[in-house]
Amino acid sequence: MHAEVTLSITPSRPPFTQRFTGFVARHARDAVSVLILLLVLAPFAWLIQMAFRPAADALELNFQFTPTLDAFRDLWQDAFARSFGNSLLVSTLSTALSMLIGVPAAYALSRWTFRQRSHVALWILCTRMAPPIAFTIPFFLAFRWLGMLDTVWALVVVYLTFNLAIVIWMMQGFFDAAPTALEEAAWLDGCGIWSAFWHVTLPLTRPGLVATAVLCFIFSWSDFFFALILTRTQAVTAPVAIVNFLQYDGWEWTKIAAAGTLVMLPVLVFTALVRKYLVHGLTAGGVKD
Amino acid sequence: MPPAALAAAATLPTSLHEQSPNPIHPRKSAAQPTTQPWQKESARSYGLGLAPALVVLGSITLLPLLTLITVSLTPLSLTNPEGTFHFNQPLGNYAQLLEDERFLHSLWVQFKLSTVGVLLQLLIGLGLALLLDTGSRVASGVRTLFLIPMVLPPIVVALIWKILYTPEISPMHALLEHWGLPVRSLIANPDTALWAIVAADVWQWFPFTMLMVLANLQMVPRDPLNAARIDGANRWQVFRYIVFPFLKRTLVVCALFRLIDSFKAFPLLYVLTNGGPGTVTEVTNFYGFIQAFNFSYWGYGSAIAVVMLAGIFVLCAVVSHLGRNAGARHAR
Repeated sequence: MHAEVTLSITPSRPPFTQRFTGFVARHARDAVSVLILLLVLAPFAWLIQMAFRPAADALELNFQFTPTLDAFRDLWQDAFARSFGNSLLVSTLSTALSMLIGVPAAYALSRWTFRQRSHVALWILCTRMAPPIAFTIPFFLAFRWLGMLDTVWALVVVYLTFNLAIVIWMMQGFFDAAPTALEEAAWLDGCGIWSAFWHVTLPLTRPGLVATAVLCFIFSWSDFFFALILTRTQAVTAPVAIVNFLQYDGWEWTKIAAAGTLVMLPVLVFTALVRKYLVHGLTAGGVKD
Repeated sequence: MPPAALAAAATLPTSLHEQSPNPIHPRKSAAQPTTQPWQKESARSYGLGLAPALVVLGSITLLPLLTLITVSLTPLSLTNPEGTFHFNQPLGNYAQLLEDERFLHSLWVQFKLSTVGVLLQLLIGLGLALLLDTGSRVASGVRTLFLIPMVLPPIVVALIWKILYTPEISPMHALLEHWGLPVRSLIANPDTALWAIVAADVWQWFPFTMLMVLANLQMVPRDPLNAARIDGANRWQVFRYIVFPFLKRTLVVCALFRLIDSFKAFPLLYVLTNGGPGTVTEVTNFYGFIQAFNFSYWGYGSAIAVVMLAGIFVLCAVVSHLGRNAGARHAR
């Protein structure tokens, strides 16, 4: 790449122009892709810079402003803090619950061959494909009847529809890849299936567990459709709160941008952690509304 | 799975890590004296681990599905709350759908949005993947950053594009004006609204194709590539005759995944145009939402959801058929 060993006795550097054109030719593709990247990310960057503007020049189209945290401070004193808390609570609870139920199921599906196994797999896949509206109408009617509309628990339950599918699908892959020899050794030593699972297999698949939990969290955190329909005021999550800003708060753009920035922040951080497994999660159990 | 089937499965003498004696007809092997007590024991044990998930999954997917279908056969709505069990005209909602011009229009809008959007995502994703397939350090960094639109919460994507399409605060409109091209708001104009939505959707999802194609490009077999180069094939010929045939299946799987997801488009529509102007951007999913939750016609909304489910189910069958062979290779 860079260091080429020159074998000639009198090494001579090529003239500058030649070196320059050589450099450009070598990096032309990189340069083009960086250019496209900047173009693609410009709208995203624009949202973030708006969040740091003073409210007075939200509508200015220049970059000459002193960054301020006013918009974030306003948000914190607003009802937005509460919706942010709701989002955290719902996503955490739903992730924990789906891991608790899904991980043992994934292990059983990975190690146990029974006839209907492929049907179970197909059923889980179809869960991911179904349009959210098909779930929403029955859930809305049921929660209305049970008086559970606008509660955090309603969302926790609904998010299981896609989180369980992600957990089972992804963890099954990780368990398939884990070696069975250690488990068998544990059985010979008198461990039961589930105690071998707990003491041997789970520690082996810890990276997979983390990746799966993070993806569940991201998908719950990002949901807008279910939260829009199943919440009113008490259990509103952050994405829905943003839309409420758009509709009622007289277009306070810096505040809206700050809210958007806060909502995307955990997702960006977490995605960086599980980048490797992202496509697996999106194709297997991901849900997008 | 019903508990009875589970119990039946639990008694199957399938061994743990060896093949059962007769893998094609496992039930026949029950007659053979190969069943060990520990095998029964382990089947029971695995069944216990699987059962809670199946019970929960059943009650949150099958029950809603049954409810949805039942409700779709009734005139249940906010103004007709006793309509839950009125089955005097079970197919009334469906008959009405066939005459509902707004519904038929929504199918056409859906068709335009899905086909154009998916095609553009494939083209751009493929092009960028080929551009980035250089193994240079810059390319791998750029590749990661390209994933940002895809992982952003959909509502944030909608917000980004709302800003971009609102002339007073949009850097895009400011630039156009600077070049002497004052443009009216794209999302308020019936001629451009749908394409503005498509642009935002493509922006969000081309990285998906890019990622899948990039993963697969690394698996293109080297030998035919080298042979072709030695035989004097130019870049286009190498792509056309060796790389592209290898990628075809990935592209089809990508297209189907994106197609299925495009039926669920919601946040962009809700925030950017709300189905308007008029009904220009009202896709089927959005129309179902309006019927069920704006007008509270739950029976009619359910019928729309059932029709969508049926359509998606057909696509789902195709995906699982294709994915059975290609899935493991593509998904990782």
